[in-house]
Amino acid sequence: MTKTAVTNNIRKLRFERNELTQQDLAERVGVTRQTINAIELGKYSPSLEVAFRIAAVLDVPLDQVFQYQRTD
Amino acid sequence: MSFREKSSWITLVTLILLTLFFVTHLPSSWTLAPRPGGFLFFALTVGIVAFVVIEIIAHIVVAILSPRDVKVPRDERERLIALKATSIAAHVYAFLSLGSVFLIHLGANEIGVAYCVFFSFIIAEVVNYAARVIYYRRGV
Repeated sequence: MTKTAVTNNIRKLRFERNELTQQDLAERVGVTRQTINAIELGKYSPSLEVAFRIAAVLDVPLDQVFQYQRTD
Repeated sequence: MSFREKSSWITLVTLILLTLFFVTHLPSSWTLAPRPGGFLFFALTVGIVAFVVIEIIAHIVVAILSPRDVKVPRDERERLIALKATSIAAHVYAFLSLGSVFLIHLGANEIGVAYCVFFSFIIAEVVNYAARVIYYRRGV
């Protein structure tokens, strides 16, 4: 499986926000549920805009949602 | 599975099945210099019609079973998957179709070359949709 260097806490933050479902988050961000699932599993790195939208919906700063794993 | 991933699977399986059916039913007398008309023309016409009909029916069935997924517009991940898969397929098509032209030096006539170019397109589309399925499953 292709994994990105960007990790995230979306699943944890969703559950902390009244168990927000992937579908609900996807609708509010403007992507498909499968894309949210792919982001959570590290199969896809979202664009900057989508990343900011996710952080805005979860009401946390961007760096609390996404982290970059340095490979060097 | 999103509607577009299901659509990719439908197209991939349909293309592979119809191509296999066509290839396995080629007459033993087939050469690179076929004459116009005959089995190849009939099989090609039937294949194209069958492809269109199967695609329409399968997509309607999937849309009826998942009406919510159909209404969701394509998002950035799906656009990226389509872009990357099409890029790979374009290279495959360019290589195979240009190679088809060189078949003239192996005795192919214009009809044989035309069929080879057509099959280059089919193979490229199989690669296109196979790549989409892989990107959907493994990540992009």
